[in-house]
Amino acid sequence: MALRIPSPRFAAILALSTAAILLAGCADTRTAGSDPAAVGAPITGGTAVYLEQQTYTNLYPPAAGFYPNGGIMNQIADRLVYQDPETLELEPWIATEWKTNETATEYTFTLRSDVTFSDGTPLDAAAVAKNFDLYGRGDADRALTVSEAINNYDHSEVVDASTVKFFFSKPSPGFVQATSTITSGLLSPKTLDLTLEGFGAGNGEDIIGSGPFTITGEKIGTELTLAAREDYAWGPPSVEHQGRAYLDGIQIIVTPEDSVRVGSLLSGQADLIRAVEAQDEKQVEAAGFEVYAPQTNGVNNSLNLRFRHGILSDIRVRQALLAGINRQEVIDTIYTANYPLATSTLSKTALGYVDESATLVYDTAKAEKLLDEAGWTRTGDGIRTKNGQKLTLVVNEAAPQPRSFEALTLISQQLAKIGVDLQILKADAGTYAEAIQDADRVQIYHSIVGRADYDVIKSQYYSTNRNVLLNRNPQDNSIGDPKLETLLEAVASKVTPAERAAADKEVQDYLAAQAYVIPLFEEPQVYSAAGYVQGFGFESVARPSFYNVWLNK
Amino acid sequence: MTSPLIERTDAAATAGARLRRVQPTLVLAILVLVVVLAWAVAPGFFTPVDPVQGDAAAALQAPSFRHLFGTDATGRDMFSRTVYGAIHSLSGAIIAVTVGLVLGTLIGVLAGSIGGVADDILMRLVDVLLAIPALLLALSIIILLGFGTTNAAFAVGITSVAAFARLVRSEVVRVRHSDYVEAAFGSGGRYLAVLVRHVLPNSLTPVIAYAALHFGTAILAISTLGFLGYGAPPPTPEWGLMIAEGRNYVATSWWLTTLPGLVVVLVVVSANRLSAALASRR
Amino acid sequence: MSYILRRLGQAVIVLLAAFTGSFLLLQALPGDALLIKFENPELGLSPDQIAAIRESYGADIPLPVQFWHALTGFLSGDFGYSVQSGTAVRDLVAEVLPDTLRLAAFGFLAAVFLAVSIAFLSTFPRLAWVRGVLRSLPSLFVSVPVFWLGIVLIQVFSFQLGLIPVINPSPAQELILPVLTLAIPISAPLAQILTRSVDDTLLQPFVAVVRAKGASRTWVLTRNVATNALLPTLTIAGILCGELIAGAVVTETVFGRAGLGRLTEQAVAHQDTPVLQTVVLVSAVVFVVVNLVVDLLYPVLDPRLTRKAGAPA
Repeated sequence: MALRIPSPRFAAILALSTAAILLAGCADTRTAGSDPAAVGAPITGGTAVYLEQQTYTNLYPPAAGFYPNGGIMNQIADRLVYQDPETLELEPWIATEWKTNETATEYTFTLRSDVTFSDGTPLDAAAVAKNFDLYGRGDADRALTVSEAINNYDHSEVVDASTVKFFFSKPSPGFVQATSTITSGLLSPKTLDLTLEGFGAGNGEDIIGSGPFTITGEKIGTELTLAAREDYAWGPPSVEHQGRAYLDGIQIIVTPEDSVRVGSLLSGQADLIRAVEAQDEKQVEAAGFEVYAPQTNGVNNSLNLRFRHGILSDIRVRQALLAGINRQEVIDTIYTANYPLATSTLSKTALGYVDESATLVYDTAKAEKLLDEAGWTRTGDGIRTKNGQKLTLVVNEAAPQPRSFEALTLISQQLAKIGVDLQILKADAGTYAEAIQDADRVQIYHSIVGRADYDVIKSQYYSTNRNVLLNRNPQDNSIGDPKLETLLEAVASKVTPAERAAADKEVQDYLAAQAYVIPLFEEPQVYSAAGYVQGFGFESVARPSFYNVWLNK
Repeated sequence: MTSPLIERTDAAATAGARLRRVQPTLVLAILVLVVVLAWAVAPGFFTPVDPVQGDAAAALQAPSFRHLFGTDATGRDMFSRTVYGAIHSLSGAIIAVTVGLVLGTLIGVLAGSIGGVADDILMRLVDVLLAIPALLLALSIIILLGFGTTNAAFAVGITSVAAFARLVRSEVVRVRHSDYVEAAFGSGGRYLAVLVRHVLPNSLTPVIAYAALHFGTAILAISTLGFLGYGAPPPTPEWGLMIAEGRNYVATSWWLTTLPGLVVVLVVVSANRLSAALASRR
Repeated sequence: MSYILRRLGQAVIVLLAAFTGSFLLLQALPGDALLIKFENPELGLSPDQIAAIRESYGADIPLPVQFWHALTGFLSGDFGYSVQSGTAVRDLVAEVLPDTLRLAAFGFLAAVFLAVSIAFLSTFPRLAWVRGVLRSLPSLFVSVPVFWLGIVLIQVFSFQLGLIPVINPSPAQELILPVLTLAIPISAPLAQILTRSVDDTLLQPFVAVVRAKGASRTWVLTRNVATNALLPTLTIAGILCGELIAGAVVTETVFGRAGLGRLTEQAVAHQDTPVLQTVVLVSAVVFVVVNLVVDLLYPVLDPRLTRKAGAPA
């Protein structure tokens, strides 16, 4: 009885799904946001519906590196200094001016005097000092961590109501830029007394900043409502728009399924969405929607080769992997033009970038030759072996990065051709957290880091920062390559931009010469918005900014 | 049915008529299962294409004669992946059903037939299994054992033990108190003999129906684990995982979920058809 | 009355066992919540900073002491804080529980409605093809992946036909698609068991006798078959309620709804013990209560269960 009937039923299901699929591609075609000249004066009012991929976890500013957290922080908190996302120049914002001593161990900031937090407290020197005392030193008793962007912080000194001084134990040349990042969002002194729990999801309304929006409502895990501050009058002076935000409010809704986010945008149920996956870009553009792909301006999306592991300690094997991966094919197959091919460890738009593309050449013949020389032999098309050991390497799936799994799948297919077995670690969070700290379990680490400062390369590779190469062995704290350490320390101790750029160049040259890193592409964050959404912008590492957004409808 | 009361001419006639009427669909169902079993046993016979090594230049192609089920994002042939996936998915479902059925029936029969304190203890154990959310149980088991089709299947099986046990017990209790079993006891039947000859066979009809349904549920449960990110490790071509991975393309490359999905639907429906035929022939 | 007391006592034991069992299970998992949260290289924390945080959380207290703290905390109504987000677990659960209960209740009602309709309609002798269609529905229902069903329902009814928005739906609209997505697969086992029970019952001799006496088919079905078939249905229902509470994770994820299922999934992923222990407690309480009711209903629905000694037919 079962099979007799299904045929029409199958047909119906098939027809239904096919119809859904076909129709999805051609949902109502709006006219895209035509060129700014044709658009009239900004309209104040309206609420924007913004779909997030993940729920935010915490609004402690140093935790704002996580995209959903940063996407909120950027709306509710101002910073001392404004970094132009295009030029990466540092410009006044809450601080009208700043100066430093010659060794970059003392900084003095002068503040504007008309700024208040949304609870009415003034944003004065004492408040700023309290902010950085917390972000610079952390508070382990409250499980509040030190900001990754702030190095060598010692203490602050309130000179007068509008002047504050910061002191550092060692040179900290990246500090001014650090004050411009979302991880240095300025919060009201009362908010800074919260514990990590107090900053957690569910307490959004308690997080008081001086930004153009305030959090007014929350449904834990699914929704957050932001409202414009009527009296906001301290946008960065270099931004054309002053005064309150154009929007009355923002409704942030968590929509984890990619197809639902895109479909909601295309069917007019949402105004803006984050994380448009590469495979959906075409569909979104074809329907006349705007695709935004701001760059993260830091260390590229890369494969980091953990050179202290037995197999990868041989430079020939590392060079062979580099030559055996067809990076252009990965980009053509998995990504789009918004994901430019990497030409160095750093992104072209990052500070301190130098072109290393001469060292990044795809050449399978060379790869095979190198592996032969290194003693890894193969019979036929099999996996290479050496002394009975298989040439098997494990790479982690970088879940937060776009299409990491697909890209690694393709790379493992490419490496199979030169006789290398690349396995992808897909595991639960606990196993994953342990495995990525152990070169015996994960030999190749897939990751990026975005920050528009010379320091970013140190963040990624230095032994007590992210340590992605495991140059410091977490088991015994030994250092494998002291030269890399020295080069990275130089980045954080030089004072002038020219010296710092030179230090960055040395690191990039060294990483390329040693074949420690296989950079894949310059990672953007891809957003999309309906055509009537105007003024959608981003800060320097691609977190959205709603201050200038208005709805032309 | 073993009860003599049931051996009535009209019932037998109905059963016979039903059997004659359904033959073509039964044949079709068996055919589907035979083909899929053959996929599992000798996948290389059905497709020359490597299921793991793709052709990047031919990524995300719609179904064609060259690629019957189209290709995925890295250019792998989906038909080939479906064929090679048969062994993983079928063995996964079989493991899950076996674990659930064997452990569940054991607990259920013991509890239902012994009764008393043993019943209480066993059923409270089952309650504990049920009181912990199945999702939590399944995910924890997978995290403990590691990612893999067999481990996921085992986890799915464990989460169904309680359901089988409760169902078996309630059936055993129902049958035990039914008139003909009471009569069998009354006419001096030995406990174990009555249990095996009367109680078990008569309790099993709904249990077998549930097991047949659970075969399909198991494939889908493994797929759901894939959806949540706890599926087979790559690049295993497991059906459930293929459906789960392809869902992001539902609006752009429909074949990625739809075609493996249809294979799953066909297999599940066929297995149900077969089990219905087996049940009605007893 | 003593029966009820005994069952209550057992219910408390089940709760305690579930609590302990899940605590042990979570401790057995590799890694821990602090490791997952703070030792991620993306945070860029130095080893010293991590050590300080671990100490402040009391991560290295012996297990039995941790268990004692958890248990006494729960008994005094203090569910602790989520390690992952730092939010009070009480707030997390209180926020999602009403949504989950509403979805589960409507989902279950819809599933029962679907199953009963299928079972009753499919036993009508006339319209053989309709009967065939209906009988094949459960196997179809159960062979479609839930997440796929949800996504297709959204694509068709929300994105193409524009009937029901998924973003900011009205209270009346918001439950339609999720309830359907939840109910369809759940109705399948119910319908299958109901159909079999109805078939079996119709073959029982007493039915023929009653019908020979002139009773209509519908009368027989509603009076006799319904009560007989209800038992296995109730059994399944008791089992499903657990699934409905925390198993709606797929529906919740696809529709972007808050719920206990998603909370559970995320808490397992991050080994967020305080959240998981609370989820176990909540679902165990719901489960124990529902099943107590089902158990108490058994004898009411089937008087044969109360007979201890076999009475001759």
